[in-house]
Amino acid sequence: MSDSSHSGYVKLTDSTKAGGCAAKISSAELEEILRALPTLHSPRLLYGMDNFEDAAVYRITDDVAIIQTIDFFPPVVDDPYLFGRIAAVNALSDVYAMGGKPIIALNVLCFPTCDYPTEVVREILRGGADAVVEAGASMAGGHSIQASVPIYGLSVTGIVHPDRVLTNSGACEGDAIVISKPIGTGIALLGLKGQQLTASSQKQLLDNLTTLNNRSLEAALNYTVHAATDVTGFGLIGHLHEMAHASRLTATLWADCVPLLGQTAELAELGLVPAGAYANRHAYAEHIHYIDKNAEDDPLCDLLFDPQTAGGLLFALEPAAAQALVRQLKDIGLNAALIGQFKSGKAGLVEIALQCREVA
Amino acid sequence: MIKKVDLRGLACPEPVLKAKRLLDDQTVERLDALVDDLVCVNNLKRLARSLKATATCQEQNGSFLVVIDRSLSAATGGDVTGDTATSIDNESHTSAFPADKAATGSGTVVFLSKDTFGQGDPQFSRTLLDLFLQSMLEAGHAPTAILIANTGVKLLAPESPSRHVLKEFQERGCPVLACGLCVEFYGLKEHIHDSQIINMFAIVEYLQEASKVLTP
Repeated sequence: MSDSSHSGYVKLTDSTKAGGCAAKISSAELEEILRALPTLHSPRLLYGMDNFEDAAVYRITDDVAIIQTIDFFPPVVDDPYLFGRIAAVNALSDVYAMGGKPIIALNVLCFPTCDYPTEVVREILRGGADAVVEAGASMAGGHSIQASVPIYGLSVTGIVHPDRVLTNSGACEGDAIVISKPIGTGIALLGLKGQQLTASSQKQLLDNLTTLNNRSLEAALNYTVHAATDVTGFGLIGHLHEMAHASRLTATLWADCVPLLGQTAELAELGLVPAGAYANRHAYAEHIHYIDKNAEDDPLCDLLFDPQTAGGLLFALEPAAAQALVRQLKDIGLNAALIGQFKSGKAGLVEIALQCREVA
Repeated sequence: MIKKVDLRGLACPEPVLKAKRLLDDQTVERLDALVDDLVCVNNLKRLARSLKATATCQEQNGSFLVVIDRSLSAATGGDVTGDTATSIDNESHTSAFPADKAATGSGTVVFLSKDTFGQGDPQFSRTLLDLFLQSMLEAGHAPTAILIANTGVKLLAPESPSRHVLKEFQERGCPVLACGLCVEFYGLKEHIHDSQIINMFAIVEYLQEASKVLTP
């Protein structure tokens, strides 16, 4: 990123304490609030707020359902174009996580126009628009207001066949777990802010943050995918727990198999761990079982709880299919991996084993 | 040497990075860092673990005092980053914490930025410096530290008459510290122990915090 792009005004990331999905409200807090809200359950609403799905799905006809989602957050990087692009990639991801194709996007923008030149807004929106075009969707408008902290994201509408919606809840006993992107964006973004990233780690991080999940979904749809979600603010563990819980299964995660962004292991070890990672560790503590002694203190575990921005997709599918999918994802240049397996057991439990294993 | 630093009000990851920079100076045996919240506390505990040092924490008027100590590490081993708050010697911390200051022990710091005493005939000026150090030692003065930079590092060369004088200061508890860049530049790396090497950041802190700096 060039420093010249933000000369003369406050750095975008200085205006905020928690960027990206680290800015999410904790799941426990949310659950309590949402439970008390009145809902009108239309039979056409296939997926709403139950099971913490990534987006709502509403059946229009027997062949078409719409997927509706919204996602926005404060700046994660100082470059306005990249911030816009990352926020849009992150918002579009929810549609892919439900197995759909985005068709329309609307901008959501809160911005302190007095503090920044118009150029910054233009660049944020251009970044968002580029991601929407790459996704093959139409940018169709949006809404903007004055605010003290910049916030950007999208509301996205997608379509999917009602019978082919991918959810959290379909994982089967024995299914292998595949992740389509490396993790560690929360820790790496702290490293970026603290100027601790080498040029190659920085490139790896920004490439990762701006990679749409469209190609990983396309690849996965060649196989019978039982469950899918995307890895975002609740960290790999949090989203895996949600999938295990919704599928009434126990997940075993092989920590050493999980692909990591460059330098994130050493940065975690040095204590560059975002607040959201500690919050996630606390929130999911009762659903975690560490198989190895002292695994809890392993720096790798900080990465498993690290809140992800524009994270990859998580798939559950039969082991042979999973292995083939990983090969295919690697062939198209994605750092995907087979990272664990579902088994019968306590619903929602995530067992963490440090060592990699073979699927049984 | 014990260093104190106030890291409150800094946005993550600045507190942990600043603590790391201070601990890069191997002469800092213990770092007392005041931070805002438990996220910082936990990050500093991770830093301590990576440095094989112990870390303890206690709440202090809504802030947290984290004590990172590397002198204890080898002896205790085991779980050095347990979450249990351990009571520490509180005597020096109850007083008001110096705001955003690293109190590097005040006192006198001797700063030798060249291998001569004043300017003049090189050989003669060099002899004068040897005499200065010898006299200071014999008079029983104990500065907080002796910092050596630029051609001053030649005083630590094997053939230097001042080498044993400086060694004696060290044995009396006065750290003799040489600028790493300078030691490398003048090719003296193999003759100077790693524990005596400091970076410019540490030199700045020492000079800043000294109540008196002697530059012969």
